[in-house]
Amino acid sequence: MRIRPYVEFAKRAFSREGTYRTQVFTHIGSVLLRVFLLSMVWTALYRNNGEQAGITLPAMITYATLALLLDLIYGVNGAYVIREKIREGSIAIDLMRPISVPFYVLADTVGQTLFASMQIIPALGLSLFIVHLDAPATLGAAFAFLVAVLLGFVVNFFLDLIMATITFWTMEIFGVQLMVQFISSLLSGSLVPLYFFPPGIIQQLAFASPFAAIYNAPLSIYIGKVTGLQIVTTLGTQVVWAFVFGVVALGLWRLGERQVVIQGG
Amino acid sequence: MIIRAEHLTKTFRTRRRGDGVMGTLTSLFSRAYDDKLAVRDVSFDLEPGELVGYIGPNGAGKSTTIKMLTGILVPTSGECSVNGIVPWQNRTQNGKQIGVVFGQRTQLYWDLPLKESFELLRAIYGIPADVYERNMAEFTKVLALDEFIRTPVRQLSLGQRMRGDFAAALLHNPPVVFLDEPTIGLDVVAKEAIREFIARTNRERGTTFILTTHDLNDVEKLCDRIIIIDHGQKLYDGRIEAIKRRYGRQRILVAEIDGFCADCEIPIPGVRKLSQAGARVSFEFDRERVSADELIVALAKQYELKDVTISEPELEAIIREIYLKGLGVDAPVAEALT
Ligand SMILES: Nc1ncnc2c1ncn2[C@@H]1O[C@H](COP(=O)(O)OP(=O)(O)OP(=O)(O)O)[C@@H](O)[C@H]1O
Ligand SMILES: [Mg+2]
Repeated sequence: MRIRPYVEFAKRAFSREGTYRTQVFTHIGSVLLRVFLLSMVWTALYRNNGEQAGITLPAMITYATLALLLDLIYGVNGAYVIREKIREGSIAIDLMRPISVPFYVLADTVGQTLFASMQIIPALGLSLFIVHLDAPATLGAAFAFLVAVLLGFVVNFFLDLIMATITFWTMEIFGVQLMVQFISSLLSGSLVPLYFFPPGIIQQLAFASPFAAIYNAPLSIYIGKVTGLQIVTTLGTQVVWAFVFGVVALGLWRLGERQVVIQGG
Repeated sequence: MIIRAEHLTKTFRTRRRGDGVMGTLTSLFSRAYDDKLAVRDVSFDLEPGELVGYIGPNGAGKSTTIKMLTGILVPTSGECSVNGIVPWQNRTQNGKQIGVVFGQRTQLYWDLPLKESFELLRAIYGIPADVYERNMAEFTKVLALDEFIRTPVRQLSLGQRMRGDFAAALLHNPPVVFLDEPTIGLDVVAKEAIREFIARTNRERGTTFILTTHDLNDVEKLCDRIIIIDHGQKLYDGRIEAIKRRYGRQRILVAEIDGFCADCEIPIPGVRKLSQAGARVSFEFDRERVSADELIVALAKQYELKDVTISEPELEAIIREIYLKGLGVDAPVAEALT
């Protein structure tokens, strides 16, 4: 596979995002607002209930703030355009080109995500005026955190791609989409750390679920809930999920491509 | 042989949907399907350098055929190949050697200036620098692209966009190009420019074209051969001349006669008087039975002729008859010509 076209796709996606300037400000503004509100909520909850599951209040606020910052990059749903393209038939144009459409979408998502990552810097800087953030436990943890974010991105991308590819079979995917989004936001640890789930089978399932690879893995490493050798197994689990989702997504895509129905003349 | 289709068949299977809320709900769980046979058992071959018109009424299956040849639809049965490659099995390989223009939708990148769309295509197809430069120079000149090459595609007029689309389709020197209604919505001048571009590319580069259109002037000006399909089935495959000869036997002769003639009848078998308006009299004649010469001589014997014109049957009139009645009946084109 030639890499050049995909580099170009990523570059164009990056500069395309740059043209929506007002969107950048509203994005950052909404993150800051949520950082403020969530820090209030967690502070109140901690005041009434005391420390939970071995996570101190400052660690919790760090967790919640970083989760909101990660939303900026995980929230890029580059695969979503596929659904529109299938729905109105312009997928035909992409399919007649000598490119792999999933990798085209990946490149486009990477470009968008790189642009979104740049928003993280001002968003992080401004958040520091609102809340106090703990530094990562060790330098190693900081590095592992970045790797885990990258792996989380891959898992998240393939999940989005799977959802978009289902459009090949059924256009009425909205309900399924909402359900997956709900389950994902619950089990990924983006809203509430999985450590707060009642210990037992549910918590075990949450930790074992692929969604945990998206938010829970990097954030647990950052706040030091996962240390030492556990970091390696956490990253390893992410790699496994990235691989499984990747295989499923590309397999589904191949199947879908074979029985594609192009809409419209 | 550069394109071949053998017993090509495509059935669309759609889930049957009920009406109203209940209908929608039950259709979610039912396994009821409607099968739509869009293309049935179509076979044809194209030689390199041919420019073939692929025509048929709305819903005939033209676009579906083209989608199978471009590899974006998998045939339900039958086979096809382009330059030896089976399009759907090897979509990417096939993509490199074909160009496509869909009149209904653009392949240019909506947000980007035209020029950048070309740059992106250059990367996608891995077009060598010299080929790219040469083609850009030629297309810019022939299609007059420089007026709007820096304009974002979404701001282009339909005619400008179409010129951009043609350049985009041919940038990588594809030996085979599919055109699905490339002149739709264009004004007379723009249509002529596009036709000229197609003819020129076919002539100078030996590019093979399949052209789908509802404007039979496109076909008449560009193609020697047409394939007609209707209801997914091939009705005709051959030269335009032949179809004109076969289905357009009737010609019209209009004579301007000096002086009064109350009842200008010509008693020759195969000739029929159609109408008379003052000194202008129209005759319809069967060119298999009477030659134009004979008719004029016969007329000149009886009357003083001031002027004579003979009109060819128009392809459009013939095709209309074929769409309406199929190939069985001999098309009475005379009606359409008066
Ligand atoms: N995605 C689809 N699902 C179901 N039926 C389809 C689909 N696409 C096309 N058809 C049906 O297949 C038949 C052929 O359609 P096609 O688009 O090939 O016609 P066409 O010859 O290109 O017509 P037109 O001149 O109007 O563009 C039509 O009856 C159409 O309704
Ligand atoms: Mg069509």
